[in-house]
Amino acid sequence: MSRSAVAWALGAAVVVAGMVLLPSQLYTGQVRVVTAVLMFVALAQAWNIIGGFTGYACFGQVAFFGIGGYATAVLMEHANWSFWAALPVSALGCAAFATLIGLPLLRLRGHYFAIATLGVAEGMREVVTNLGWLTGGGAGITVPTVGGRGTAWLGNDGFYLLFLTLAGLAVGVATLIARSRFGYGLRAINQDEDAAAAAGVNTTRAKVLALTISAAITALVGSAYAFQQVTIYPQRLFDVDITVIMIVMVVIGGAGTVLGPIVGAVGLQFVSEYLRQHYPQEHILVLGAVIILVVLLFPSGLTGVAGRTGLLDAIWAYRL
Amino acid sequence: MTSFLQATSYGLLQGGLLAMIAIGFSLVWGVMNVINLSHGAYVLLGAYIAWELHAAWGLDPLLGAVAAGLVMFGAGYAVQRSLINQVVNAPIFLTLLLTFGLQLVLVQGMAVVFSADYRSIATWYASESLPIGDVRVPSGRLLAFGVAILATVVLVTFMRRTRTGLAILATGMDRNAARLMGINARHAYALTAGIAAALAGAAGALVGLVGTFSPPDAARFTLLSFVISVLGGLGNMYGALLGGLVLGVVQAWAGQYLPGTWVNAVAFAVLVAVLIVRPSGLAGRAFYEARVEAT
Repeated sequence: MSRSAVAWALGAAVVVAGMVLLPSQLYTGQVRVVTAVLMFVALAQAWNIIGGFTGYACFGQVAFFGIGGYATAVLMEHANWSFWAALPVSALGCAAFATLIGLPLLRLRGHYFAIATLGVAEGMREVVTNLGWLTGGGAGITVPTVGGRGTAWLGNDGFYLLFLTLAGLAVGVATLIARSRFGYGLRAINQDEDAAAAAGVNTTRAKVLALTISAAITALVGSAYAFQQVTIYPQRLFDVDITVIMIVMVVIGGAGTVLGPIVGAVGLQFVSEYLRQHYPQEHILVLGAVIILVVLLFPSGLTGVAGRTGLLDAIWAYRL
Repeated sequence: MTSFLQATSYGLLQGGLLAMIAIGFSLVWGVMNVINLSHGAYVLLGAYIAWELHAAWGLDPLLGAVAAGLVMFGAGYAVQRSLINQVVNAPIFLTLLLTFGLQLVLVQGMAVVFSADYRSIATWYASESLPIGDVRVPSGRLLAFGVAILATVVLVTFMRRTRTGLAILATGMDRNAARLMGINARHAYALTAGIAAALAGAAGALVGLVGTFSPPDAARFTLLSFVISVLGGLGNMYGALLGGLVLGVVQAWAGQYLPGTWVNAVAFAVLVAVLIVRPSGLAGRAFYEARVEAT
């Protein structure tokens, strides 16, 4: 190992140890806030793989979140599986689903892909709502956590560790992709897909694989979220706002970097939590204004501004 | 048979109104490659303007539609010139995010100002129904349909017969070449956005005439505009009219013959199917297929 690799490993170990010990220093409410932050770190990083690296603006990412959550709830409720069995199986099932829809949809480019995936997500919500015998329909489904069935609820600290693990997994996968030949292929597709194909990148395989990995991570998070919430509803699990929040976080932080989504998720989640507590009525309005300002002021993301270009250059970059 | 005809006629009338909403959306998408997620909020702003005018002075919503269109033209122009033009060359998710933020502000702002209660603009004629054969047609919907078709024809004529309209289309085809010909692209884009907002706002007044509305409806109007634009081929104005009518009829049939809320899934199933099988739209080739992307 080179010296810098040792330094990175040590730094990562310190961060992980700090994060594991953190809940003992916080109140219950604060633990929940940090847990939500970790959940969005994982989600933003998952979207970053397809949207940031590959440049395919997936506006239906919440479909994978909802499928993961509902697969877990159905397996635990109807098949009496334990959560620990349902979690990986939900992710694998969702990965298979993503591969299947990815093959036709990833032929579409730009807005067409964005809208087709949005259509898939909205359509999945309606499918789940209308399969009442299986999913409980609009009335929701409850994950068994008591009475000897299912898996006992993990408690606030337990879910903190679960989402910390998922966030670590997402960041780890994104780091590996960023440094691999596969990751360079994805970036090449982002820059110019035809040129990437001409240079020998198997673009179809790379794009479908990127979507599949992204979907699997998102489904893991959805699965854990369903267990944490206990009772889930189609309106919430397939809420298009969840997709948008992921995208906002990635864009704020800097798309196509590993650090960007982490910065964006932590920043935006704390800001929106602050707004929710101080302006309970108008917090969504303020959030909208924050999104507008961020897009206008940091079009290449916070890490982009800190990295290469100056603030003013970044603001003027995309002007008409 | 009567219920089938009834559903079909309802679908056609509703489809015409949806087409009027979607045409501006399709135009903006085609000319500047921007998907305006706040388009549905413009519809509701128009509805509230007409509602306020009706409540204050008893102004008929058909006249209110004109007022709403004028106000929304100015709003759409200003938003494009001051906000969206700033990031119009950015990767697509930036423009999507910007307009999504705008949609949040507008919808939540309307909810704060007007509350989330459902409203409608009551007129003496809206619920009078005309019998045509066995089918009964509400006259409010028929009027709204007529206005929607008229607005579409006027818009297409304007775009194809006037210098301003042709300048907008030229900017959409090749912005750099258009600029070399002396067209002010910033102004052309803002005009396009203004026209789209004006049509959406006027359609909003008609929405208030034929039914109820509430701020959260904005997202539904935006989504249906998506579907119709794709069905019609993006930027293709008569295509959008056709797409609106097709979608209206398909939804009406689904509402008639499918149980539960499957009707909501139909629009998205149609959307995804059309995108995969025929991405240039039902009406053949999209008008801007040959466009040159500005860099």
